[in-house]
Amino acid sequence: MRALTANRLSDGEVVFWSQGRWVERFAEAQLFADEAAAAAEAAEGHAKTETKVVVEPYLIDLVESEGLWAPLSYRERIRALGPTNHPFHGKQSEGGAVIEALQHASGAARSKGRVDLIRRK
Amino acid sequence: MYRYDDIDREFLADRSAEFRDQVNRRLAGELTEDQFKPLRLMNGLYLQLHAYMLRIAIPYGSMDSRQLRKLAWIARKYDKGYGHFTTRTNLQFHWIKLADTPDILDHLASVDMHAIQTSGNCIRNTTADPYAGATPEEVDDPRVWSEAIRQWSSLHPEFSYLPRKFKIAITAAPKDRTAARVHDIGLAIKRNRKGDLGFEVMVGGGLGATPHVGPTIREFLPAEQLLSYLEAILRVYNRLGRRDNRTKARIKILVASLGAEEFGRQVEAEWAAIGAGSDLPAGEMARIRAAFATKTFETLPERSESFEVAKSADPAFARFVRNNVKAHRAPGYAIVEISLKAIGETPGDASADQMEVIADLGERYGQDDIRVTHEQNIVLPHVKLDDLPAVHAALAKAGLATPNINLISDIIACPGLDYCALANARAIPVAQHIAERFANQDRAELIGELKIKISGCINACGHHHVGHIGILGVDKKGEEFYQLTLGGSGAEDASVGKVLGPALPANRVAEAIDAMVDVYLSQRQTGERFLDTLRRTGPAPFKEAVYADAH
Repeated sequence: MRALTANRLSDGEVVFWSQGRWVERFAEAQLFADEAAAAAEAAEGHAKTETKVVVEPYLIDLVESEGLWAPLSYRERIRALGPTNHPFHGKQSEGGAVIEALQHASGAARSKGRVDLIRRK
Repeated sequence: MYRYDDIDREFLADRSAEFRDQVNRRLAGELTEDQFKPLRLMNGLYLQLHAYMLRIAIPYGSMDSRQLRKLAWIARKYDKGYGHFTTRTNLQFHWIKLADTPDILDHLASVDMHAIQTSGNCIRNTTADPYAGATPEEVDDPRVWSEAIRQWSSLHPEFSYLPRKFKIAITAAPKDRTAARVHDIGLAIKRNRKGDLGFEVMVGGGLGATPHVGPTIREFLPAEQLLSYLEAILRVYNRLGRRDNRTKARIKILVASLGAEEFGRQVEAEWAAIGAGSDLPAGEMARIRAAFATKTFETLPERSESFEVAKSADPAFARFVRNNVKAHRAPGYAIVEISLKAIGETPGDASADQMEVIADLGERYGQDDIRVTHEQNIVLPHVKLDDLPAVHAALAKAGLATPNINLISDIIACPGLDYCALANARAIPVAQHIAERFANQDRAELIGELKIKISGCINACGHHHVGHIGILGVDKKGEEFYQLTLGGSGAEDASVGKVLGPALPANRVAEAIDAMVDVYLSQRQTGERFLDTLRRTGPAPFKEAVYADAH
């Protein structure tokens, strides 16, 4: 399972793709099943044209956690939650089942976001 | 401190207006991200994990209460009410919106501040001894020379697109509080036998993936020739630096590959060709020096009775004095270090409220002079002994009286994976766990000076290579692990730490530190710091203690 993420141009907010628009909550992100790879890549391709709205969109891998989906890589979970040193900053401050599932998730994978960043440098 | 003139102010206003136009064009889609990114970086604006980060220059870590209050105001209005002081003595805000940035730059300009050259392949903020103008050990005021470098290097057309970023530090006392030897250029102010003022010039130090302690290429450079000599170094670097390979582009690689002697020879040849025309005229140097004129100190006795009484009556104050108060050159005065390493808090962070408390104290008790240290603390350099109890009480009320300067919980940590897009692993929680484990101040004082430095990736913003104990966050198949290095130092006895063994999971780091501290306490000889014992015994007993259960 995958989701599409980016940072919003105007304020840097972490956003996720959902049925043709960008949303702030990971809970509302559109999930792309592995067999729907073409749809995921099409969404990513479209997102890359939205240069006035977002910066550097990319697909992230998800993992199952407590019956819900969470980003596989640690970096992406921090992006979806907020910094761990300030639990009331970032999206985690809202709480809820999806936030908790993310906080309890584990998994080990490098984030494509970081790999892309280093490659561009 | 140095005051801007009308030309400086006009320039900043123009620069801010220019960036406002660039931001508007980016938001309107007239500039692509690839076109805009170098423009925003020239104004200190990065895109990180959760938001934009704005890095504001605090030249040589020196500011006044008006400037610090403005930073507090910006923190409250445009960020989440706090800021992060960095190892470059700058301040970062981590929750900035692109659309707000032009307004923020205008507010900064209103107090003679900006974010220029806090990013990019240019000459960054020069760092200097935070005890400048206050310590009795000082040879000359490093701020005078740092300001000359600031004026010379700001938007220098020849040095705005170097092969890589370039950092200069100036230490002005035998005790190096700037990590000069691990800078691209480290300058140590000295006097020769005749009493003339000059600099020892060290070039090619650096951290990152390939740490180097910079060799000295000139033992004594006459002070008035500083800028022409720096120009010669930068020219040789600009000409020969590895622009083809980003990881080999820092000057340390060039100096190491040519050898210090050959690099020095080329600099001398370039310097001879440049001549004295690039040096600041004596009149201009005198003008800058006048801006840092010696403070007027009251004639006070060495001993303050009220200070002594307070020390006897209040053990917490006495502990603060032991660790955070340093000798001043004027009788009856002291240097006060304010730790931004409260136990369990984020190293280097200060809330807007705390910034305002420090600004008030600096204005009321500290001759309106406030410094940032490269170890992410704050200094009030000129406080009367008589005023220390009041200053301590106000700091304690604001959560700023942690008595741990140079102790095990005075940890440098970069923002790490909690904020930084480049990080592999978090640094802040590791620092918090270690500080909590050594929260007992009696034990911390028993252990004495022990510098722990943590970086969340190999770029080494947390200076882990020069920690007595360094901690580097690494990514092992996507999981956070931490590699320990031992025996580094950023001080006058600079050295690069050596990797102790396999990286540890996060939950084993604090206990590994504890195990090594036990080895030190059992093996130390009289007067030895952790680093001294380690250098005497070698790493073997420490390694054995950390990896005992792996055998």
